[in-house]
Amino acid sequence: MKHRLVFAFTAALFLAGLAAADTKDPATATKAPRTADGHPDLSGIWAFAIDLPPVTLKKEINGKVSLTDIDSSAARPAQGPVPGALPSTPAPSYKPEFRQKVKDLFDNESKTDEVFYCGKPGVPRIGPPRRIIQLPGEIVFLYEDISGDPYRIIPTDGRAHRKDANPSYYGDSVAHWEGHTLVVDVTNFLENGWFGEGGYFHTDAMHVTERLWRDGKNLAWQASVDDPKVLAAPWIMPPRVISPSTDPLEESPPCVEDDAHRLLNSDHHQQR
Amino acid sequence: MRHKISATLILVALLLAAGAVWAHHSPSAVFDMSKPFTLTGTLTKVDWYNPHITVYLDAKKDDGSIENWKFESNPPSWFRRVALARDDFAKAIGQTVTVEGVRAKAGGAYGYLLKITFPDGNSLELVVKGPLNSQ
Repeated sequence: MKHRLVFAFTAALFLAGLAAADTKDPATATKAPRTADGHPDLSGIWAFAIDLPPVTLKKEINGKVSLTDIDSSAARPAQGPVPGALPSTPAPSYKPEFRQKVKDLFDNESKTDEVFYCGKPGVPRIGPPRRIIQLPGEIVFLYEDISGDPYRIIPTDGRAHRKDANPSYYGDSVAHWEGHTLVVDVTNFLENGWFGEGGYFHTDAMHVTERLWRDGKNLAWQASVDDPKVLAAPWIMPPRVISPSTDPLEESPPCVEDDAHRLLNSDHHQQR
Repeated sequence: MRHKISATLILVALLLAAGAVWAHHSPSAVFDMSKPFTLTGTLTKVDWYNPHITVYLDAKKDDGSIENWKFESNPPSWFRRVALARDDFAKAIGQTVTVEGVRAKAGGAYGYLLKITFPDGNSLELVVKGPLNSQ
């Protein structure tokens, strides 16, 4: 009986400790849903997270006027602090010898950026996924993008990166859980892609880490980029908060760039 | 008419100011934002392509000849988020529509569509958030 009391007391203390730790964890504090294996459930359709023109539609039908706004918040850095996010900076820091190249690329973006010509944005420029399907041992990210509608099938069973994969825009991904955060490790990129608007070129040494967690009903996404060949230090990008969506994924229409020959200057911005 | 012109000019000014956050390119990189114009003609085709949708208009010139105009507009993903589909334009193919827009700086029969008015008087218009909403 005495042993049972001691065990119960110890167990109560242990559970109380866990509870105390959990209340410090933003994901648990907001009672994020969980999958059968106990991990936070990131599944679902999430808001479109690519920048769109900040324009309202004014529709006049049979004399009745309606205004429809768009919400591009998922495409932008979160406003205000995001629980669980790492300290970030607004822009990467390149080694001094590469800063002029970044400026030149940005100044001539309409000629130098593959994404302007319907190219693949790659990771992390494409941003958070539009849909997540969370399965035992793997997680699937689906995207909508003008370059096509890419997908990523990411092992979460502890396996290592593939050794036989060709370099690509989206790289090779493996993921694991750190507490309530899914950490996606991405390597094996093609050289000379851009990891962000602004001429942020990278080499084949780029290493990206994406972190995804639940922020209440929302999804939080934050990526960091390391490229020791050109960056002075790893860049931790500002986090984004993406709200759940009922807008189903739809095949993106074909991309036919027809403006480049009409551009009289290099002034175009913000593909992502 | 005067109010209509001033509203269009304000819209153009706001579009110019908003250029830094447009999806593909700033309109001012391609179009002369200081010269809004209105064109009436027959809607012949609608391309629901990225990075911009395109509508085609056959308009009669002063000498009676037909000029084939092409107007690009916002990306399909924007139209989708404001609940408009290709058919909202394409249903008027073969009919007379009026387009308000701006011309390409490079010249030619090319513009950016800011408003389209259909034969039944219904219209779709791109309005920058803020001041124009209250007009």
